[in-house]
Amino acid sequence: MTFEIELGGRTRSVSVSRGDGPDRYSVTIDGRPLQVGARRIGDFSLVVLTDSVQQAGEHAADKANGRNDFWNNPVTRQLFLMPGGSPGEILVTFEGRTSLVALNGRRRGRAADPAVHAEGDQAVIAPMPGRVVRVLVAPGDEVATGQGLVVVEAMKMENELRAPKSGRVKDVSVSAGTPVDAGKVLVVIE
Amino acid sequence: MKILIANRGEIAVRLIRACRELGLSSVAVYSDADREARHVREADEAVHIGPSPADRSYLRIESILDAAARTRATAVHPGYGFLAENAAFARACRDAELTFIGPSPEAIALMGSKTAARGVAMRAGVPVVPGTERPFDARSTDEEIAAAASAIGYPLLVKAVAGGGGKGMRAVDSPQMLASAVRSARSEAGSAFGDTSIYFERRLRRPRHIEIQLLGDNGGTIIPFVERECSIQRRHQKVVEESPSIAVTPELRRQLAAAAVSIAREVHYTNAGTIEFLLDEDGSFYFLEMNTRLQVEHPVTELVTGVDLVRWQIEIARGERIDVNFDQALTPRGHAIECRIYAEDPDSGFMPSPGVVRLIRPASGPGVRDDGGVSDGYEIPVFYDSLIAKLTTWAGTRDQAIARMARALREYQVVGVKTTIPFFLWLMRQPDYEAGRFETTFLDRILATRSESFSAFTESEEELLSVAVAIDAFLRTSAGASHTAGTLPNVWLQAARREALRG
Repeated sequence: MTFEIELGGRTRSVSVSRGDGPDRYSVTIDGRPLQVGARRIGDFSLVVLTDSVQQAGEHAADKANGRNDFWNNPVTRQLFLMPGGSPGEILVTFEGRTSLVALNGRRRGRAADPAVHAEGDQAVIAPMPGRVVRVLVAPGDEVATGQGLVVVEAMKMENELRAPKSGRVKDVSVSAGTPVDAGKVLVVIE
Repeated sequence: MKILIANRGEIAVRLIRACRELGLSSVAVYSDADREARHVREADEAVHIGPSPADRSYLRIESILDAAARTRATAVHPGYGFLAENAAFARACRDAELTFIGPSPEAIALMGSKTAARGVAMRAGVPVVPGTERPFDARSTDEEIAAAASAIGYPLLVKAVAGGGGKGMRAVDSPQMLASAVRSARSEAGSAFGDTSIYFERRLRRPRHIEIQLLGDNGGTIIPFVERECSIQRRHQKVVEESPSIAVTPELRRQLAAAAVSIAREVHYTNAGTIEFLLDEDGSFYFLEMNTRLQVEHPVTELVTGVDLVRWQIEIARGERIDVNFDQALTPRGHAIECRIYAEDPDSGFMPSPGVVRLIRPASGPGVRDDGGVSDGYEIPVFYDSLIAKLTTWAGTRDQAIARMARALREYQVVGVKTTIPFFLWLMRQPDYEAGRFETTFLDRILATRSESFSAFTESEEELLSVAVAIDAFLRTSAGASHTAGTLPNVWLQAARREALRG
């Protein structure tokens, strides 16, 4: 079974099948065959072992490429996996860092900024539940990229939401004091 | 003594731990959002005090006093934030014959006004940052405010008279920015403290933030502690604190301690408090403000002096005399660093990241202290500060404490919400941080020029993670599910099946 895994701006093709024993897997990553051990611990973690993995020729080639990686050195690591916000998104936590991984290219734009790359009208959306403290623009105003539009207080901090592009304010759908839910459209810029 | 803890989160857990160690009963209070919170689980008793918004629960004096009466608590510890620096609350406790574990209402009221506190420092002969001696309330005219600002000169700081924790504070570089800065500072101060009064202070170019912890008892003894270095700030909020400061010599330490003690004497200060100073590049220092409460960053002081500050707060409130050796308090043993782990996404401008903490596994091992407030399955509410835990490391030298912090951050696992851990891992590797070359503007300056992710992985780590994600996805297919011992049916289901077969 082959999966397209997008992480850190790169997509890698990884195929997985049963290996030569319980909790062993035959894996191919970008054409390189590996034998890997793995086991789930609880709901959110996976332990991966990378012993006995390389064929001699590839080993030498990787060394020549300056690769000092897990596949040449036997290691056991625990990492943590959790479903992300959208289908196909997985949050991976490993040694103090967390990254969003997309599985099989099903990743959509982030919920908070679907409009950023869109042509024409762009909506500015509340990134989290909170309360509108101030509205800094009115319909018809010309705004520049990065200009403050609305100040939303959430978790005791005031966050200024800024214009994703320059243009004219088409619509303002909130006023000071309005409680807002995550995803609520606050301002539309055309 | 039975202590009601008028707070939540990690500080409530810290206070409950102190109660348990002293053999005292503790009472937690909680809002709707905190019904299952860790501090509620760990206290001996717990009382519901209202809906989730703080102004209808943790900030409601009557609800807290009712909870104390219902549980026959005899004392109240306010922690930090919420009602900790509210003189009316301290007075209401006194009127209800509850021991308030903190300073007198008079000292809170006096030092709580930033302008009055500056007056106290001047009377005590301690230099203050040039600024307006009179607050501007809602009735002050724009002309008055603009005139006062130009008299102080730019750059300046707009600060809330009732301020603290960086709230209601704005930096202003030019007269054009003044009006909007005053407006937003007032609005933030109004919602945080219920007081929109502001004042101005000259902004020093590159000051360090250095503070002196104090303990005072009812017999007039005041003990100053080794300084804390709190210059690593993001938008005026401390994010990393350490003790001692790399910029403070033993001689300067004695001067800072003497200045702090003379201010505290001037107001007959009792219990725990902190005097904050700005230390200029030329070694001169200025009184900034006094915090009349226990501080978030108290663990670094506890680790380098071996003194349990919370225990002494309780002992002092019980009428005990301080029995802490002056030299022990003012001589650092080793070095301690604290990182405030928030549920914030450092890769999205530190936007709060509320949600359910699926799993939290704090770091441990030599020289590591975790002051946590969250447990597995807890949903971080949107109503409060998003502090998850304070991670503090101690070692013989500063370099070792940094290395230990980096090690501990790597061990610390939080699954379910984004945290500031990746940011701290990055900071611990920055040459300027390692060398101690920083002041209060350092962090905002370097963050402004940075756009890369704090969570970057190496090529080989990315490969390992890609393989892991693929195997995990494979295990979720029917082909994979039969192949692993890791996805056995739930042990309780197995037990129930055995139970059913027992006959």
